[in-house]
Amino acid sequence: MKKIPALLAAVLMAATTALHAEEKLVVYNWAEYIPESTLADFTKETGIKVEYSTYENNEVMYSKIKLQKGKGYDIVVPSSYLVSKMRQEGLLQKIDPAKLTNLKNLSPDLLDKPYDPGNEYSVPYLWGSTGIGVNAKEIDPATITSWADLWDEKWQGKLLLTDDVREVFHMALKKNGFSTNTTNPDEIKTAYEDLQKLMLNVLVFNADAPREPFLAGDVNLGMIWSGEVIMAQQENPDIQYIFPKEGAGFWVDSFAIPVGAEHVENAHKFIDYMLRPEVGQKVVEELGYSTPNMASKALLDEDTQNNPVIFPPADIVKASEFQQDVGDAMKVYDGYWEKLKTGK
Amino acid sequence: MMKVFKWSFIAAIFAYLYLPIAILVINSFNVSKYGYEWKGFTLNWYAKLWENEALAQAFLNSLLIATLAATAATLIGTLMALALYRYRFPLKATSSGLLFIVMMSPDIVLAITFLVIFIALGIQLGFWSLLIAHITFCLPFVVITVYAQLKGFDQYLLEAAQDLGASESRIFRLIIFPLVFPAIVAGWLLSFTLSLDDVIISSFVTGPSFEILPIRVFSMVKVGVSPEVNVLATLLLALSLLLVTFSTLLLRRKH
Repeated sequence: MKKIPALLAAVLMAATTALHAEEKLVVYNWAEYIPESTLADFTKETGIKVEYSTYENNEVMYSKIKLQKGKGYDIVVPSSYLVSKMRQEGLLQKIDPAKLTNLKNLSPDLLDKPYDPGNEYSVPYLWGSTGIGVNAKEIDPATITSWADLWDEKWQGKLLLTDDVREVFHMALKKNGFSTNTTNPDEIKTAYEDLQKLMLNVLVFNADAPREPFLAGDVNLGMIWSGEVIMAQQENPDIQYIFPKEGAGFWVDSFAIPVGAEHVENAHKFIDYMLRPEVGQKVVEELGYSTPNMASKALLDEDTQNNPVIFPPADIVKASEFQQDVGDAMKVYDGYWEKLKTGK
Repeated sequence: MMKVFKWSFIAAIFAYLYLPIAILVINSFNVSKYGYEWKGFTLNWYAKLWENEALAQAFLNSLLIATLAATAATLIGTLMALALYRYRFPLKATSSGLLFIVMMSPDIVLAITFLVIFIALGIQLGFWSLLIAHITFCLPFVVITVYAQLKGFDQYLLEAAQDLGASESRIFRLIIFPLVFPAIVAGWLLSFTLSLDDVIISSFVTGPSFEILPIRVFSMVKVGVSPEVNVLATLLLALSLLLVTFSTLLLRRKH
């Protein structure tokens, strides 16, 4: 008989936790792409429990959201090209700017881009670029100023390229003066023919961590992401970053709310929280990627603020193009990409 | 001369197998974050892992799922192997053939299939969907290991037991089970490893409430895999060494 009160207590406890559990938020994101302590602080302040689930790349996230018809998650963090694809397919819902008191902190340079005009469906979280990495000990960084320099014969069998069709085509398209988001088959073909020449210089394609071959000394020149350079410099300060004069590739990872999200109100609270100046500051300090948050930038120490890898000069950002979805032209790109990599 | 060659060959094979693991263990004590050079001894990463609740939770979740899935798959698989070996029933060939299909299907096919089924049945993605999927892909491996062992032993043992009047359950308890026990243990360990390793199927069938280790580690690539993962791998290695020692001892006592 003694067991009954204990049982009752257990049931009651389960019931109350269930009640509390309603105040929650489901975030689907890369692992550690939001500092753990930031999530804990958010929960402490708002009482909203964060369930943090992770994926390996944009495509896994996209297929899962697509198959579940936008249900199951309250916040996702797609890259710019995927924002345009997901919004066109009706997988995202509109974000209410009236609920975001901190929206004013964001730099206008990074808002209202063609991948999401008016930022109806996405709020920029972090951004970065794809440029040229150089090991200053082996190669004088001053001699490399453009994508075109990578085509030089002297780099035969020496370059690293990222294993990303859009980024690699970006180089050749920019070199020839085209848009990185072109859907014109002739322009894509010109870029492809140019890339065929570049293939002689390529040593390796790297999909996950281009900094690793640089740090290991396997390559001294190639494409690299800005965030990777920051990580690499902690180990070896000789790894330097160059914005090619034709234009680096830029991307933004944004917060978005899937169309079937259950905790829309909490999602807005969360986005607004992440836009606070001190929160953005912490994110940059921990992750090394750039924040679009001007108020956060002002809080960072001078060295970080003036680090052109993290915060490129405004004219570079303004002149740059952001990746967006190219629709059916993607098949054209993929066809050429296949040929490039198989050497046909 | 031959002897020198033989030993150096064995040494080379062992180095090939274990050097990477040794480097990983060493790096878990390395001050350097990326481990290209030795920058001094530290236990810092162990402390960091201890504080990294999300990673630790994912680790525990993985162990839980692997244990449960391996146990369930072993139970069902052993019974199935027994049925395939001992009894005749309709569609026997088909059902063993179907097992091979599960085993041979690429993970991505299974992953999408599972996801579509779970969504169609309205099963919420999370612990249960993950467990069901893991049991399914572990099952054929258990059946095949146990079935191979059953095939290998002397049929007359069972007939003799029947002649002497032993009941079906007694035959199982006293003859079949002790004889196939090593295969059952092997099937369990195999399932445990498979379940612990799986990324592709898991990333599709798990939900936000239940995160497991391999998915989390893969996802870390974006911001750089931290040395805490080396620590975790070292701990896992210690655990598997313990498991192997334990099972060897257990098997030795049985024989």
